[in-house]
Amino acid sequence: MKSAVTTVISAADAAGRFPSMSDFESVKGSFDRALPRLEAAEKLASCIDKFTNLAVDAVYQSGSYEQANKDKCVRDIHHYLRLINYCLVTGGTGPLDEWGISGMREIIRIQLLPTSAYIEAFIFIRDEIKINDVMSQQAETEFKGLLDYLINALA
Amino acid sequence: MLDAFSRTVVSADAKGAAIGSEDLADLRKYVADANKRIDATLAITQNVSCIAADAVAGMVCENTGLTQPGGHCYPTRRMAACLRDGEIILRYVSYALLAGDPSVLKDRCLNGLKETYLALGVPTSNAIRAVEIMKIATVAIMTETNTGRKMFKGINSGSGAQCKDIAAEAASYFDLVIEALS
Repeated sequence: MKSAVTTVISAADAAGRFPSMSDFESVKGSFDRALPRLEAAEKLASCIDKFTNLAVDAVYQSGSYEQANKDKCVRDIHHYLRLINYCLVTGGTGPLDEWGISGMREIIRIQLLPTSAYIEAFIFIRDEIKINDVMSQQAETEFKGLLDYLINALA
Repeated sequence: MLDAFSRTVVSADAKGAAIGSEDLADLRKYVADANKRIDATLAITQNVSCIAADAVAGMVCENTGLTQPGGHCYPTRRMAACLRDGEIILRYVSYALLAGDPSVLKDRCLNGLKETYLALGVPTSNAIRAVEIMKIATVAIMTETNTGRKMFKGINSGSGAQCKDIAAEAASYFDLVIEALS
C-alpha cells in the first residue's frame, strides 16, 4: 500500500539500487510530519462516533432525504471516517483510494444513492464541527486535507 | 508492499476498527526511532560490497572445494553470481529495515528463491552459511562492535550502541532469509 516509505522503496527497487541519501531525506521528511498525523488519527478514532452522529443528524434534519436510509448513511459515514483514520496513519491516500474511492462510483450509481448526502455530511464535519476542541491546529489541518480529498472524489 | 504504518492499517481493517491510542504507541516509537533506523540502514548501504564479499569469501574458506574445478563457485562467472546474489539479499534487507516490515523482502526476494536455487543447482546449505555471515557482519557494523575502525557514518552522528534494537530487527530479517532457504 502506498505510503511515503513504500513509494521510495518501490522506486529504488525498480532501479535496482540501494536507498540513496535523497531517499532517506524524503523518508525522514515524512517522519517529521508524522506526529501531527498520528495525533489526528488518535483523536479522530476517539470521536468517530460523535462526528458521525452530529453530521448525519444535521443532514437528515433538513428533511430532504428519506429517514429510512439514515442508519445506512451512519454506517457509510463511519466507514469513510475510518478510512480517513487509516490515511492519517499511513501518511498517504492509499486506504481511501483502494478501499473507499475505487469502484465507489459504480456502486453509488447502481444503488441510486444520493451522493449529496455524503458530501453535505463531510462538509458539515469540515466546517461546522469545532475540530479544534479535540485536536491541535496541525492535526486539524491534516484531517481537513483528507476530508477535502474525499469530498472532491465524491463530487 | 507494506511498511510499519500500512501493516497497522491492514490489521485494523481486518477488524473493521479505527486505529486508536494502543496501536499508535508502536508507531510513535517507530517515528521516534526514525533517525536510528536510517543510520542502521546506512550501515548496510555503505558497506554492501564489503559485507557480501566477506560473506562469500568466508563461505569459500570454510569449504575450499567450492572454487576448485567442479565446485559450485567455479569458474569465476559463478562466483560473481554468488556475490551478486549476496548484494541483492542485502538490498532487500535494507528495504525491509527502512520500512520496518518484512513484506517487501518476502514478496520480492524470498518468494520462490529456494525453488530457483534448487532448479539452478545452487547448494542452499552454502548459501545459508553466506547469509549467516552477512547477518553477523551487518549486526557488528551497525552496533559498532566490529573489530577495527567504525564502518559507517550516520546522518545524526548516531552511535552504534543506540542501534541495538534496530540491529536485532535487521538480524530477524536475515533469519527470514535463512528460514526461506532451509
